[in-house]
Amino acid sequence: MAEPIVKVRNLTKSFGDLLVLDDVSFDVQKGEFLCIVGPTGCGKTTFLNSLTKLYNIDSGSITINGKDIDLRQNNIAYIFQEYSAMEWLTVEQNIMYGLKIKHVDKDIIRQRVENVMEIVGLTKYRNFYPRQLSASMLQRVVIARAFAVEPELLLMDEPYGQLDLQLKYHLEDELIKLWQKTGTTVIFITHNIEEAVYLSDRILVLTNKPTKIKKSIPNNLPRPRKISDPEFVKLRNEVTDLIKWW
Amino acid sequence: MKKSSIKQKAGTILLPAVGFVAILVIWWLLVSFTRIGLLLPTPLEVLKRFIYFLGNPIGKAFTLPMHLLISLRRVLTGFCIASVAGIIVGISMGRFKPIEAIVRPIFELVRPIPGVAWIPLAIVWFGIGETAKTFIIFMGGFVNIVVNTYAGARHVDERLMGVAYMLGASKIQAFFRVVLPSCVPYIFAGMQVGLSTCWMAVLAAEMVSSFEGVGWVIIAGQDINDMAQIFVGIIAIAVMGLLLAAFMRFMERILCRWRERGA
Amino acid sequence: MNTAKRINRKYKYISLISMLAFLGIWYLATAVLKLVPAYSLPDPVKVITTFVQKFYMKVPDGATLLQNIWASVKVAMLGYVFGVVIGIPTGVAMGWIKAVEKIVRPVFDFIKPIPPIALIPVMIVFFGISLQAKAIIIFFSTVIPCIVNSYSGIKQTNQIHLWVAQTFGATRRQQLFTVALPSALPMIFAGLRVAMGSSWMGLVAAELLGSTSGIGYMISVGRALLRSDIIIVGILTLGIIGILISVMFDLLEKLLVRGGSEK
Repeated sequence: MAEPIVKVRNLTKSFGDLLVLDDVSFDVQKGEFLCIVGPTGCGKTTFLNSLTKLYNIDSGSITINGKDIDLRQNNIAYIFQEYSAMEWLTVEQNIMYGLKIKHVDKDIIRQRVENVMEIVGLTKYRNFYPRQLSASMLQRVVIARAFAVEPELLLMDEPYGQLDLQLKYHLEDELIKLWQKTGTTVIFITHNIEEAVYLSDRILVLTNKPTKIKKSIPNNLPRPRKISDPEFVKLRNEVTDLIKWW
Repeated sequence: MKKSSIKQKAGTILLPAVGFVAILVIWWLLVSFTRIGLLLPTPLEVLKRFIYFLGNPIGKAFTLPMHLLISLRRVLTGFCIASVAGIIVGISMGRFKPIEAIVRPIFELVRPIPGVAWIPLAIVWFGIGETAKTFIIFMGGFVNIVVNTYAGARHVDERLMGVAYMLGASKIQAFFRVVLPSCVPYIFAGMQVGLSTCWMAVLAAEMVSSFEGVGWVIIAGQDINDMAQIFVGIIAIAVMGLLLAAFMRFMERILCRWRERGA
Repeated sequence: MNTAKRINRKYKYISLISMLAFLGIWYLATAVLKLVPAYSLPDPVKVITTFVQKFYMKVPDGATLLQNIWASVKVAMLGYVFGVVIGIPTGVAMGWIKAVEKIVRPVFDFIKPIPPIALIPVMIVFFGISLQAKAIIIFFSTVIPCIVNSYSGIKQTNQIHLWVAQTFGATRRQQLFTVALPSALPMIFAGLRVAMGSSWMGLVAAELLGSTSGIGYMISVGRALLRSDIIIVGILTLGIIGILISVMFDLLEKLLVRGGSEK
């Protein structure tokens, strides 16, 4: 493989006396789909927030393409666990938001927004305000907003946690399609091991607090994957055991 | 790490001081070097006056703390009556349709009238004694407390009422166990606003007609062209207002603990 | 559905009867039984005739009702506009820029509890009984709620929304204009409304204490001449204007604040 796109070295972060991330180092290859799993409350969210420098880190370095991460220069999209659709914008305006911040050309904005709205099935609801939408539709708005900027690095923090199963499977497949089409790099946090095995090229298993990387497991199962495939089950059990036996 | 936390601490103490010092310096410079000095005393003079008035009478009889206490007594009298009446009217309007139908139109007529506007009528009706002032203060607080209590009583969760009745509560029990507690935060919001309008009303009332109280201190200062006295009065009012607001917040925390914000 | 409608209509009748009863008792007590002297409380018919007469008669205060209304509204608008123009940016700056917050907040917390009415004597000493004096009082009544609400509106911006903007690479400026301000808008609007109420109150107080025109002046002339019909007409006029203002705000809010308010 070529030079990694994301390099994290010795990342350490604590809140007061509570050490949350302890000397974490890893690489992400360009175009890789990386899933991060770990026990509940192990600091997965802190992990992403530190990675994007939304939190100030205590020490360590994070580089993208060899340069320090810079949210203004790098094209990053982050899907938060909480609902983050903006209440004062319509569905369509929400999806445009990232593109507008980045001053993308108007025609391109229109074209991309139409495209992603179609993918997540929101075209009919383009003029609705968030308070008029259901929880799963809100999450689709956020996902569409992230896809629209065609990020070089897409960060997702349990994005599908609150969706119903059917929609979750649908959006997982859509995510895979989009990822294959655009070649974007994805870091996907989940506590759902099946989801991790289904989506990823590689799985990072985290320990409990203070969080370290317990193991990095490559996942070379052929796509499209089937959750009933014996190989799939074997890998899923392997990851499950790792989390159990921390 | 250590250094930055010291820096932060310095910031939380120094920067606020910067604001106050800047105002005092500008004030002092304006008084010393411009014609405003003819009208305005220096901060130091005001402070000296303030301390002087703590032990010496303003006007004939009362020291500054006494004037404050007189105003405070007036506020509390009017405010207490307004609270009791306001809560009763608000809850009965919110819970009993016929009462709502009878009282609401008359209340809507009174509601948009600024409390201060009652002063002349109160004086015509009750003379310039304590009754007039109590009435003015009452009108200031009453409207706010009714509006909020009424809103609270209308927003009682009907499901909770259902639960209470299902568990065999009588109407009276349901009222004291469900309606009243769930109105408390609203009532409190109304009382907070009400107290500050009462405080405003007492000043206005004292300024228009009285012989004592902080409002009088200010207006007497105007009459004898004594700016220092006016400022002493204003500062006393600010301090009193701060104390009253702090007291209300404290009470709210005790009475509405279950509704603590930010959870 | 139908019974509900019928019950509603029943309550409407009760409201109407209650209104009529109120006027009837008033009329009986004053015009027929003469329980109170006419200088203290005139009968409702007298109030209505005075109200109509004031549209073309300048007696006793030297201006028709409309002239008085215009005099009051002019001053109120002047002070209000200045208060809004200064208050909102100050509040936003306090909410958005840490250093400004640390410097201004303590000073502001001290000024906040001072009722603008207390400043009336200061303004009268400085500017005499003039347009400026009143406009400044109204300015203070306006600026404080504007600052309070825009400050807390900005402070309540959801961190997640700011993070979304940040991860998309938004500058601080973009974050302010695309996230913090729009999400604070409903709060700021509520501040404008509160400010309108308190400036209206400030205006009345200012006009009662020192003025040569306006509704408050008309009321105080009525008081001096023991013409309580004039006082009541003045109070009712204040109430009616208050209602009109609040209706206007409802409309404006519907037009301007999108998405944020509940249905």
